[in-house]
Amino acid sequence: MARSKIRKSSKSSVMNTGRRVTLNPKLARRSFLKISAATAALTGVAMTTKLTKKAHAAGKTTPYEGSKTVRTICTYCAVGCGIEAEVHNGVWVRQEVAADHPVSRGAHCCKGAGAIDMVTSPKRMKKPMKRVNGKWKAISWDTAMTEITDKLKDIREKNGPDALHFNGSAKVSNEMAYQIRKFAAFWGSNNVDHQARI
Amino acid sequence: MNDMRHAKSLIFIGSNPPEAHPVSMQHILHAKEKNNAPIIVVDPRRTKLAAKADEYVRIRPGTDAAFMLGLINVIVAKGWEDKEFIRTRVSGYEEMLEVAKKYTPEEVEDITGIPAEQTYKVAEMLAKNRPTSLTWCMGGTQHTIGSSITRTFCILQLVLGNMGKSGGGTNIFRGHDNVQGATDMCILSHSLPAYYGLSDGAWKHWCRVWDVDYDWMVGRFKSKEWMNKKGFTLSRWFDGVLEGEDKIHNGGTSVKALIQWGCGSNSNSRFHDVKKAYNKLDLLVVVDPFPTSAAALCETDNVYILPAASQYETQGSVSSSSRQIQWRYKVVEPVYDSKDDYDIMKEFVTRLGFADQYYKNIKQVPEDITRELGSGSLTIGYNGQTPERIKKHMENWHTFDIDTLQAKGGACDGEYYGMPWPCWTEEHPGTPILYDISKPVNEGGLPFRNRFGDVATYAMSGRVENQLAAKGTCNPRSVVQGGYSEFKEVVPGTNWKTDLSQKTIKEALSKGMAPFGNARARCIVWTFPDQIPIHREPLHSPRPDIVERYPTYKDKADHYRVDTRYESEQAKNNDIVKNFPYTLTTGRQVEHMGAGAETRSNKYLCELQPEMYAEINPKLANDLGIRDGGMVTVESPEGGKIKCKALVTERVDETTIFLPYHFAGSWEGESYADQYPEGNEPWAVGDSGNVITNYGYDIITQIQATKDGLCKISKA
Repeated sequence: MARSKIRKSSKSSVMNTGRRVTLNPKLARRSFLKISAATAALTGVAMTTKLTKKAHAAGKTTPYEGSKTVRTICTYCAVGCGIEAEVHNGVWVRQEVAADHPVSRGAHCCKGAGAIDMVTSPKRMKKPMKRVNGKWKAISWDTAMTEITDKLKDIREKNGPDALHFNGSAKVSNEMAYQIRKFAAFWGSNNVDHQARI
Repeated sequence: MNDMRHAKSLIFIGSNPPEAHPVSMQHILHAKEKNNAPIIVVDPRRTKLAAKADEYVRIRPGTDAAFMLGLINVIVAKGWEDKEFIRTRVSGYEEMLEVAKKYTPEEVEDITGIPAEQTYKVAEMLAKNRPTSLTWCMGGTQHTIGSSITRTFCILQLVLGNMGKSGGGTNIFRGHDNVQGATDMCILSHSLPAYYGLSDGAWKHWCRVWDVDYDWMVGRFKSKEWMNKKGFTLSRWFDGVLEGEDKIHNGGTSVKALIQWGCGSNSNSRFHDVKKAYNKLDLLVVVDPFPTSAAALCETDNVYILPAASQYETQGSVSSSSRQIQWRYKVVEPVYDSKDDYDIMKEFVTRLGFADQYYKNIKQVPEDITRELGSGSLTIGYNGQTPERIKKHMENWHTFDIDTLQAKGGACDGEYYGMPWPCWTEEHPGTPILYDISKPVNEGGLPFRNRFGDVATYAMSGRVENQLAAKGTCNPRSVVQGGYSEFKEVVPGTNWKTDLSQKTIKEALSKGMAPFGNARARCIVWTFPDQIPIHREPLHSPRPDIVERYPTYKDKADHYRVDTRYESEQAKNNDIVKNFPYTLTTGRQVEHMGAGAETRSNKYLCELQPEMYAEINPKLANDLGIRDGGMVTVESPEGGKIKCKALVTERVDETTIFLPYHFAGSWEGESYADQYPEGNEPWAVGDSGNVITNYGYDIITQIQATKDGLCKISKA
């Protein structure tokens, strides 16, 4: 209720009178600004209530004994929100919003609130795989890399370096992105691109 | 993003942050609540952001340039332009204005569907609430004229004098977490890292950085000319597989092998053609933490999946939409039998036999890579952000002020969070706002770059104009009081971009000047087909009656190695709207990301957003006998077809269908989840929206036109 009143008042003041109307006319301008700032922050949180709850399903309790907190950055969009990851015995056990991160300031969307699932999802690929007679088969890294690079060398030999195209990634670090572009150069082709194109 | 807190008005065009960049909303709403800044949303769809807007402008997809030119026209007619800014910092203004004058509000109404009085109203809102923060996303770019549309956004901000100002500027919200950094590092077929391009000079520069012999590098290519030639793009690589080697320009071979590394596939338009290409390849290697739809749709025995660790199981720097560089620390070691990206790359490089040359400067991973890329990326000032500095910012992130992002005291005192590039030296604080001449260059200020010569003669008018900033216009403490050229010959034979000793950069900074000069922002780009941006109708236009007035480009041969149809495609489809009467546009959901391989592997997100749907207006749905939640078939002019549920909603108008593009795992309503490795199939499957997106590519960048194609819809 309070929110809609504030919004209405700010709208009317911008479009018509330029005079600010507060919830309580006796409130000083300074108090109004405090309220509206809090409202803005709340709106951000309110949008994510549904999932923030889920992320906190385990509840915020005392840290695991001997656990450490790692500051890291969300891997979804380019806002670049902070994440505090609690790691216990080498396992990512819980995540917390970074309340003092200068951009995200303790906010997360539903995706960021579930960032831990990038590691814990049972859907993660566990072994290198190839298709054999149409069926997926797990193979070793050595077999996979030997077969792949042998094929690449054959194709390069027969058709030249431009027979390979490399679709790289906006999801890797700057260092890895740089390495992908450098790889294409050393392989000998400009057939390399990534999601910024689309 | 934080700087949007200072905006006095905000306009969003083809951008929907509550879905795509949710956490930015706290800063946007702060401007609305604290500054009373009106929010203007220009979008074909009444989005979640539109629900927060003071003014919602419904626009026909693909007509943004016309609307922008109309706004400029009104602003100048009313005398609201920033005359001093234009006089001192803009070039090609008169010529641009001649073009904009043709776009009267009445003409704009005819093209865009926006009532003329609303164009007047928005122009007034912008003029009377400065500075305006202008934001666009893929809704502005994914058109055949995307490169023109984005230029009109910038020109509008120049006319209003909002560029290089706190609370103003153009804020392009980037999609993926590191699309800014991956672009800066140029995983792009037309440039080496840091936008050096593909010229001989660019190759020589990077060979010096890599410490490899230039002639050895030439020997890696088919021949030298192929080093200078742009490669295939992500939007068209599959035509390099399908079209046959005689129809493409790839040195006599088609594409036989594809490495798809951290890149979902169903974000490609014409996805039914992409599927054909996967099955024609001799080798497909998918490198990803989750199996993408590429792996599932390739039914041959030529496909491998390499389990990459997620980004939380490795480390390195990432660049946010605001050019802040943050260190993404490793949370845990790679799980299962996965490897991190650096290790997988090492497998490739070592087995392909060029490890000695490739890793010459690199012992400590990833820090040595940060140092190497920084030492060469002088064009964009990536050299001041050492790994040590980036990590220091992470450890002290609580010391940065939320409004200015400048550290107050502490270990990073005076620096800007993440040292936004350009960060010219290891002492430089970073540049939080581009082209801001209110601050000294040493303290994060910047003029416009002198990149296109000091003087230009315009072919269209014969006018000769100085391209440098006017006398007296410069950053505080600049030795030269006015415009100046880029710095060169400080070290003989080099310029500020190629002097690896960085003496040139330091020389410029010691004079309070920018290494790249102090010039004007151009309204005319003399190398583009449209030197001044104009409206052109989409290839599949719903308005054949105005195609003659606003025709598309001539066909373009060898556009990133593939011939690309414009004029011929438009002519062939002059009456296409009879059979495909609805405009198709696509977009995001907050619960999913990109092609959805990650988010559809997250059961919580899938619980929230489990199904593919098509948004359709209630009137159209009722006319076609389509019920909310009932199944529909959507078809493209190219023969793509999907089946999904109908979401009957007023968000779209009666002529528009909206599809989210995150789904995969079913084809024409039939699940192919059994084609994923067992146990790795996503929690949520659905038909891919991009099966329907039409043919069409930007004339400069070749970005796919997914936002303004046509379709038909019927009850399934």
